[in-house]
Amino acid sequence: MAAIVARALVKHFSQEIKAVDGIDLDIPEGQVFGFLGQNGSGKTTTVRMLTTLLKPTSGSAEVGGVDVLAHPERIRRSVGVAMQEVGLDEVQTGRELLTLQARLFDVPGPVARTRAGNLLDVVGLAGDADRPLKGYSGGMKRRLDLACALIHEPRIVFLDEPTTGLDPITREAMWRYVEDLNKGGVTFFLTTQYLEEADRLCDDIAIMDRGQIVAKGSPEALKSSIGTDAITLGLGSAEDAGLAEPLLRRFEGVDSLQVQGAQVILYLKNGAAAVAPLVLALAEANVKVEDLRLRQATLDDVFLRATGHHLETGDQGQGRL
Amino acid sequence: MRFLRDTILLMNRALREAIRQPANEIGNAFIPLFFYAVTVGAVGDVAREAFGVSDYKGFQLPVAILQGAAGVAGGAGLAMTLDIQSGYFEKLLLTSTPRLAIVGGRMLADGVKSVILCTLIVAMALAFGSGFETGPVGMVALVLSGGVFALCYSGIGVAIALKTGSPQAAQAGFLLFFPLLFLAPTFAPLDVFATWLEVIARANPVTYILEGMRALVTGGWQWGSLLKGSAAILGMGVVTWTMTAMALRGRAAGG
Repeated sequence: MAAIVARALVKHFSQEIKAVDGIDLDIPEGQVFGFLGQNGSGKTTTVRMLTTLLKPTSGSAEVGGVDVLAHPERIRRSVGVAMQEVGLDEVQTGRELLTLQARLFDVPGPVARTRAGNLLDVVGLAGDADRPLKGYSGGMKRRLDLACALIHEPRIVFLDEPTTGLDPITREAMWRYVEDLNKGGVTFFLTTQYLEEADRLCDDIAIMDRGQIVAKGSPEALKSSIGTDAITLGLGSAEDAGLAEPLLRRFEGVDSLQVQGAQVILYLKNGAAAVAPLVLALAEANVKVEDLRLRQATLDDVFLRATGHHLETGDQGQGRL
Repeated sequence: MRFLRDTILLMNRALREAIRQPANEIGNAFIPLFFYAVTVGAVGDVAREAFGVSDYKGFQLPVAILQGAAGVAGGAGLAMTLDIQSGYFEKLLLTSTPRLAIVGGRMLADGVKSVILCTLIVAMALAFGSGFETGPVGMVALVLSGGVFALCYSGIGVAIALKTGSPQAAQAGFLLFFPLLFLAPTFAPLDVFATWLEVIARANPVTYILEGMRALVTGGWQWGSLLKGSAAILGMGVVTWTMTAMALRGRAAGG
């Protein structure tokens, strides 16, 4: 059974602002599905529609087999959500907040208290459980927020940029936790700006750009769709790149290429074997190669190919693999 | 049943918040007690001669009750905006709790805080030498009516908070109370008012609330005044709760 299905889902805030512009989703149970895109691409709006916080302008969606418009209260009972902005009541302690959260999901009192204690332990906050949240660090709040999303043991969990702003150690811990839960059958719908996160966690990925899904598939399939390897050529100038482009497009084995200023990125199956003939061909055409790098294709390459621009995360070093 | 249980859970959360951040509550207690002491001190001795009120301490007690209750009732709207801004309100919307319980818990907490404050005000007025015609039962009725008034009045701030998400706008809901209070027989009985002011005062629901409460303190079990006062509080409640429910629906729909 599909965990999440959407058909022609649209959200327009005005004539000009088309946040989500007709997307289709089919996410099987037990999958970690990644929604990759820049800020403003429509990821969060999609999550808000699927979790009943926002009504779609048109289209339909089902979560856990339940229509989001017809039975929003049933959806809320069955899904866990951690939004991008950690929304917590800072006056309460971690234990109070989690217990209240469980009770508001109709979990009986004694069970709620036990679960809160267990989850605090799992997310590494047992020692701080009885301190007010105002003394928690950003990473601690993020972990508590994740615990809030899981306190009623949902089978489908939406995480909207769950590791944005976290330090690498906390990020790694969050990833491990998601992986463990996923092994237990929990479906995750994860939005992220981090390619590494998508590559590591996700079974399938959709790349979102300007409200539309522009590429979809498993990370491996997406990468192989553009060629296994990537050769980045630094040429003398943008004119040189323009001159070289027709030649490079005809070059044997090249699946696709991207020109960005004086830089040309070639995607091909066997990059190592292509390097020498490539340099020779360019030399014969009087195109000077100033720099050449061979590497495996990454999701960033997929993103570039699909959207025409790199994924900018605003968090240095995390966007690229 | 679920609604009631969740409302109480969320009320407890709001009360915990008040206990851990007592500054607002201290402010809410100080203002009515201060005005009560100052007004009684300034006018008390001449009240009988000026407008025929022999127990001015008792006459002013309902004013302090209403001031205190309105001050407390301003808290729910402000707290709601803080929840909205922090994102916690959205987290509550994502639970399976009935959505009215989210605002109901806050408003009920205001009612409870108001009962505590009104008890303090009554105790202070008695210590000052105020009479109380209806005795301990009347005192309980007065304190409870202060709580119900807060529960009703808090709907204004909560509705504004839900509509705007702005703390400044939500606090303006509390400021609305002052014209209502001063256009009622707050410092003197209606029969000494200028005609134009009396006309306005008679159209003001606070007049009937004040007179109903005043009957408990200085007049005895005057059922006519008590019924009118109760009707005014409940009428105000119907209006503010309707506003709140509509604003909640708008915010929960999310645009």
